[in-house]
Amino acid sequence: MQWNGATLPPASSLGVNEIVLAWERGAPRALLATARRQGYRVYVETPLNQATSAAKRCAENSCVGIILKVPEAESAETEKSIASLRSAYPKLRVLLLSPSGKQPKMRGSLIIKRDSVLEVSSPTAQPWIDTNLALIKIEQRSRRPQIPLYTFSWADQTILTADDYSLAVAEAGAFHADLVLQPDEHLQEGLNQRDGEAWALWNQVRSTLRFSAHTSAGRLEPAANVAVIVDQLDTSDEVTNLLSRHNIPFQAFIAVDLKTEELKGFDIVIVFAKLNAETAERINNLASAAATVVVVDGHGTYPWQSSQPVQLNEHTTSYAVGSGKVLELRGPVSDPETFAQDIRRLLGKQNALLSLWNGLTTIAVPYQDRGARMTLLELVNYAGEPLRLQVQVKGSFTMIRYETPEHGCCESLEPVKHDGFTEFVIPEIRIAGRVHLESP
Amino acid sequence: MRFDKRWAAALVVVILSVGSSAQSSDTPILVYKEKYIMGTVFEIAAYAESSEKASAAIDKAFQEIVRMDDLMSNYKPESALSRLNRSAHFHTQKVPPDLYRVIEQAVQFSRLSDGKFDITVAPLVNLWKAALSGDSMPSPSQRQQAEECVGYEKIELTPPDQITFRSSCMQLDLGAIGKGYAVDRAGEMLHSSGICNASINSGGSTILAMGSPPGQRGWLVHLRDPSHKIDPYVMLKDQSVSTSEQTAVSLLAPESAGHIIDPATGQPIDTRFAVSVITSWGTPSDGLATTLLLLGPEVGKSLVDGMSNVSAIWLSPKAEIETVNHGPEIFFGKQL
Repeated sequence: MQWNGATLPPASSLGVNEIVLAWERGAPRALLATARRQGYRVYVETPLNQATSAAKRCAENSCVGIILKVPEAESAETEKSIASLRSAYPKLRVLLLSPSGKQPKMRGSLIIKRDSVLEVSSPTAQPWIDTNLALIKIEQRSRRPQIPLYTFSWADQTILTADDYSLAVAEAGAFHADLVLQPDEHLQEGLNQRDGEAWALWNQVRSTLRFSAHTSAGRLEPAANVAVIVDQLDTSDEVTNLLSRHNIPFQAFIAVDLKTEELKGFDIVIVFAKLNAETAERINNLASAAATVVVVDGHGTYPWQSSQPVQLNEHTTSYAVGSGKVLELRGPVSDPETFAQDIRRLLGKQNALLSLWNGLTTIAVPYQDRGARMTLLELVNYAGEPLRLQVQVKGSFTMIRYETPEHGCCESLEPVKHDGFTEFVIPEIRIAGRVHLESP
Repeated sequence: MRFDKRWAAALVVVILSVGSSAQSSDTPILVYKEKYIMGTVFEIAAYAESSEKASAAIDKAFQEIVRMDDLMSNYKPESALSRLNRSAHFHTQKVPPDLYRVIEQAVQFSRLSDGKFDITVAPLVNLWKAALSGDSMPSPSQRQQAEECVGYEKIELTPPDQITFRSSCMQLDLGAIGKGYAVDRAGEMLHSSGICNASINSGGSTILAMGSPPGQRGWLVHLRDPSHKIDPYVMLKDQSVSTSEQTAVSLLAPESAGHIIDPATGQPIDTRFAVSVITSWGTPSDGLATTLLLLGPEVGKSLVDGMSNVSAIWLSPKAEIETVNHGPEIFFGKQL
């Protein structure tokens, strides 16, 4: 949690162990000392150009680490700076913070502005979900081995509710990422002054904090059967956002780092990167081994083009390669919503790792253990209204247990198994839910 | 016919409200709330003399929409519609008055459109819905089997509240009219709470504009424009606008499914038009939007020619425009 005030309540009452103080605000020695006395592990957040002095002050005051808030434009210099800071202060954790997060939210299409002209809202189907899942997936790739760390500013909104904070916490927990949560000034002031309303709000958030603290991050890996290959990781890419919103589990790769073995096990590979001869050969081999490869806007001559082309529609040509195929989409993705739906259709029911019914406002992320068995499903409902969800997961599971911030762990759900899939009904999810999948 | 209007393009309402700096004690307060119901986001913006009054009225309106969902949902097994779909083949079923009314109005649209609008199309909709979510395309025999279950004339309505199905496999789907009806009911709730100036939006597919924002002639609503070249808009006062549009064409598949099914062919309608219809209430605008999309501009315009207080626009991605105006004028923000 980021704290801007001069005083702060004890860690035990806030239910938060780690606090972030902004170096730009001076992070005075007294506040650093107070925060430590109050039971916090203290981080100092700093821009890159002040990182050295922040690290020095931090090390002198027994901070746990510094957090570098780096805009994407400065990321080239970052690696060098991190290496030199780690070498100078080996006991200090040096973390990178992505400031590109957005407030998690379900949105409508009415736009209301006072005294001004209004704008068009979402170009895609309702309901629109603002989620950080795509950002986190990309951070998982680009910041390895650091757990993705992000923050966001609250959208223009006069009063933040417990549900707003809970959703932000639940999202980070479910996606196994770290969030620097920024409570608004009124809440910080209220908590400092022991205001009853402020504490009532925060106590509601605490149940989600407790729930999210018990994730299995570190032990489990996100499960995915769709790979996305790009030249550069772009956190604002709408296609990856839409794949996330349609609950299509994907993993991002950078073309230059690509190793063929990394792509084994993916049913669909989507290539946005410009292809060179070597990568094209790998793509061809991958398709031969039964994968479906979608090459987007990749004009050129490639090995798979030696087979007979089949014109699927005005946009796409298909080439059969071994037991798989390559689909060439002639231009860039013109409609990310339709593209995401197409990818789900290409996967087909047999390859869908998970499917939700009544889940238009819910994002689910499956996790697998080191033996590649799916064992956990984290769910976030952006509507904040209790929903009854029907879920289908790939695999045969004998026991399904469900936990929530409201009811703890765990309620047994009745699994129905058929054709290699397991179905069950989640009786109610409000904001967060976690499903444990157990097989014999 | 639609199974779910979340696919419909979003309309955008422009709400010109009074700035806080200019507010006096007499200035109406604008309160905005949103809630996820019927598989979409319902939004209500309402003016009242106090935020408490507006907020309480909006909550009451949302409760009414939730009640409508409990009546008309196909997903909820215990909804009145699900019960009707399970049992009206066997015996005459008594239904709640709201469900009877919405089905009665839907049947009127079926008669008006000679069966193009048909709430009995559910078995076909379900087939194509499965194709949209990854199943293979329906086979001719599957389609034929489903088509045999379709036909609005097999719904027998006995006033004031009894319904019988004259087909053993018929199912009703109110996706093409239910949200419009829910919007109207919400409007009545706001009105009964003393709210005269408000807008109710069901996920962009139907918007009901009650009264107008303070100092404005009406609520400015930008209509769906797949070409992005025309920017059509209307000023609505005590009127409703609905939009209907087929699912976008697949980028990667040889055939496209779609959520709006033509009962005459048993297949998704092949049109790139988006249709917006303006009428006095949400139920007719919602029903007419789908009807006019299915009929196309030529037949659709002649249907609207027989109606008063109705305007409609068909707009394609290539900026082809067809309009018919017997109601509010449709303006164009851009010139080709």
